[in-house]
Amino acid sequence: MKYLSETALHASALGLALMAATAGAALAEKSVTIGLTADPSHLYPLAGEELSSNIIYYHLYDPLVKRSADLSFGPGLAESWENVDDTTWRFKLRDGVKFHNGNDFTADDVVFTVEKARTSIRPDLVANIASITAVDDLTVEITTPKPYAVLPNDLAELLILDSDYTTETGDEKMDLEPMGTGPYMLGEWIKEEKLTLNAFDGYWAGAPKIDTVTFRPITNPATRTAALLTGEVDVIQDLAVRDVDRVKREDGFEVVTRPSLLNVVLAMDTRAKSPTIEGDNPMVDQRVREAIARAIDTDAINKIVMNGLATPSDQFVPASHIGYAEGMSFREMYPVDIEKAKELMADAGYADGFTMTLDATNNRYVNDAQIAQALASMLAKININLQLNIMPKSNFWGYIRVPTEQSSFIMSGWDVPAGDAGSMYGALFYTRDKKEGYGQVNRGSYSNPELDELVDKADATPSIEERDQYLQEASKLLLADIPMIPVHYEQDIYAVRDGVTLEPRVDKFLWAYDMDVAE
Amino acid sequence: MFGYLLKRLIQMTLVLWVVSVIVFLMMSFTGDPVFMVVPIDATDAEIAQARRILGLDQSLLVQYWRFISSLVQGDFGNSYVFRQPAMTLILERLPATVEMVLVAMALALAVAIPLGVYAGANPESRISRTIMAGSLLGISLPGFWVGMVLIFLFAVHWGFFPSSGRGDTAEFFGLRISLLTADGWHHIILPAVTLSLATMAILLRMTRAGMMEVGRQDFMKFARAKGATRRDVLYKHGLKNALIPVITIFGLQLGDLIAFATITETIFSWPGMGKLLIDSIYRADRPVIVVYLMLVALIFVIINFLVDIVYTLIDPRITLK
Repeated sequence: MKYLSETALHASALGLALMAATAGAALAEKSVTIGLTADPSHLYPLAGEELSSNIIYYHLYDPLVKRSADLSFGPGLAESWENVDDTTWRFKLRDGVKFHNGNDFTADDVVFTVEKARTSIRPDLVANIASITAVDDLTVEITTPKPYAVLPNDLAELLILDSDYTTETGDEKMDLEPMGTGPYMLGEWIKEEKLTLNAFDGYWAGAPKIDTVTFRPITNPATRTAALLTGEVDVIQDLAVRDVDRVKREDGFEVVTRPSLLNVVLAMDTRAKSPTIEGDNPMVDQRVREAIARAIDTDAINKIVMNGLATPSDQFVPASHIGYAEGMSFREMYPVDIEKAKELMADAGYADGFTMTLDATNNRYVNDAQIAQALASMLAKININLQLNIMPKSNFWGYIRVPTEQSSFIMSGWDVPAGDAGSMYGALFYTRDKKEGYGQVNRGSYSNPELDELVDKADATPSIEERDQYLQEASKLLLADIPMIPVHYEQDIYAVRDGVTLEPRVDKFLWAYDMDVAE
Repeated sequence: MFGYLLKRLIQMTLVLWVVSVIVFLMMSFTGDPVFMVVPIDATDAEIAQARRILGLDQSLLVQYWRFISSLVQGDFGNSYVFRQPAMTLILERLPATVEMVLVAMALALAVAIPLGVYAGANPESRISRTIMAGSLLGISLPGFWVGMVLIFLFAVHWGFFPSSGRGDTAEFFGLRISLLTADGWHHIILPAVTLSLATMAILLRMTRAGMMEVGRQDFMKFARAKGATRRDVLYKHGLKNALIPVITIFGLQLGDLIAFATITETIFSWPGMGKLLIDSIYRADRPVIVVYLMLVALIFVIINFLVDIVYTLIDPRITLK
């Protein structure tokens, strides 16, 4: 009997192999090679985040709520969700989902992931979750510390781990041997050389169209362009601005651009005394802040420094976000007008201007150091003598950190992939040290009780519509009061060879599941 | 010989210790690594938690003590960024760098020695002048520029070689070596040539200078007079006596290229360890930088030791004390 069953097993295995072989002959394997700017640092989502790692994470793992390419949110590993009361949410999980190792995905995995995140280096992922319980195998109940309308958006960043596998494997090895429910499985990862992903045929949303995806880290922009032109890679991330025309001229290649979410902003100190300004701080006066806004010509920066590859920003968040104030534009409210700016300075009592220092990076944003230089010459026209203090990003974040004891004027970037202005306003504009988790990045020490109240209200309602209303009011208030000047959104630039379909995502996370290659 | 070895060992330990102290002190000025791992809107509590996980909540002195005491037990510490053992990160990238450097150095020697001997023996000839002018170019052209030009010409324009990456590798005693495959050689040529140019030029000029110096010595005339062929006079008598400074420079260049082939590696996206150093400096990843620089110091010490031994083989008058 044993003999018989073994033969049967062999026979069926042979049959499967034959079927696979014929299928393989009929349908050529599709593969794509993508040139990234850097090798991922991690394959374990709770070990840290940066762009290359994020890109790989979303191939290997899934969140409960899926964020689409244009920042709308829909079902992922959770099929549906509802509010039980103001602070309680019930998520119905998808049935029949399997991890790459064959384990079933259940409510326990979700609970495990949340608890695991709490003690990891990324507790911020679950900051708005007070408690989580598994109601049954396919239902979890999450409570938030206070009513929080955008919880599902937050959950789009929490990637679900296999509780058994992760516990067994341990944090350090998880970085090398990841295990998720995502559309791709790790093939091999040779550090700094290549990372290969193979399609996961049992993916719950259907097997991917492309069978093998190879990521190659190519740091030097010119080499990345060369690798595309020689056919070594099919897609490159971050095409250098100076190579855009060259690639467009070449036959068989296409340049794909899309405005990113990253808003480059200038934070102005609003304390009575500012670290780099002698005497009283002129920027306490809204008129001085408006004068600075009117002296900065973002179109000129776009044309001269950015080669036309930036989009001057009209508000603090893009139009797709909750809290974007319909029909308002910073550019129309404060068009470039040096005469008007000088008048405002004179009205405020600073006709002779003043001296202060701008803190900026030289390796974080596109052409950041050049933008800083352009700002210095623009502000010189209204007699502000702008000293530049430019440093690499490894020093920058610690230097400008709240309580900002060394800075008066800071250039940095901000993006909100969660699609909601609330977290940004709470972090950047809420009065410092008033409430835990608010105002922690308020580098200009801006304090306005009206704004605090609006943010509080937005964070206290379980209704998305009401939240949007409050945050729109907050946007209007901020645009009038100018605690910060929005400059521009950088553009993401990709290049692909003909035959590869790529729709860039707003959040920059290249996703091979959405891509296709012509036969 | 034993005394010599012991002296060298003590020197080495001292050098490694000094390197570790300097790097620890330097790194306290280059930014706080914790901000490289937390999101920029992290709250104080989140930052404190990250600091605790990374072991950065202790004073610098305590951190150093922890580092040294685990070092003695063979634990070199974990990278802040990768959360993996720093030594593993470096060692898995080391073979790629070493093989590229070895090819580059072999290439440099194969070109520099014959041309240098020729230019030294015939200083007035037109060919020698051309060689010397070429060597000046080799010294003065920056490596990143040469690399880009080679990629543009040989990869993009003519398509002879791939522009970047390492190609196929084969396993050899558990190491991944690309010199064992044709595809690997195909990929290594351009970066190795780029890396070798400057060293080639320096070695060539050293050889020429040495040969010109030696050429004026009496024993050269004597060798010629006793009937040795010109080739024997140049290579057996002349070159051997001109070689000591060339070997010294060779050793230093070898160490230098292994440790700091960063630029060539970045341009050709060669998966070596030089890029790791630069990335770690940008990310203030102290454990990796410390271990890297200590390893580099060790490599230099070993190379210098080998160079000393080669001296005694070339010139029997030299002994190791």
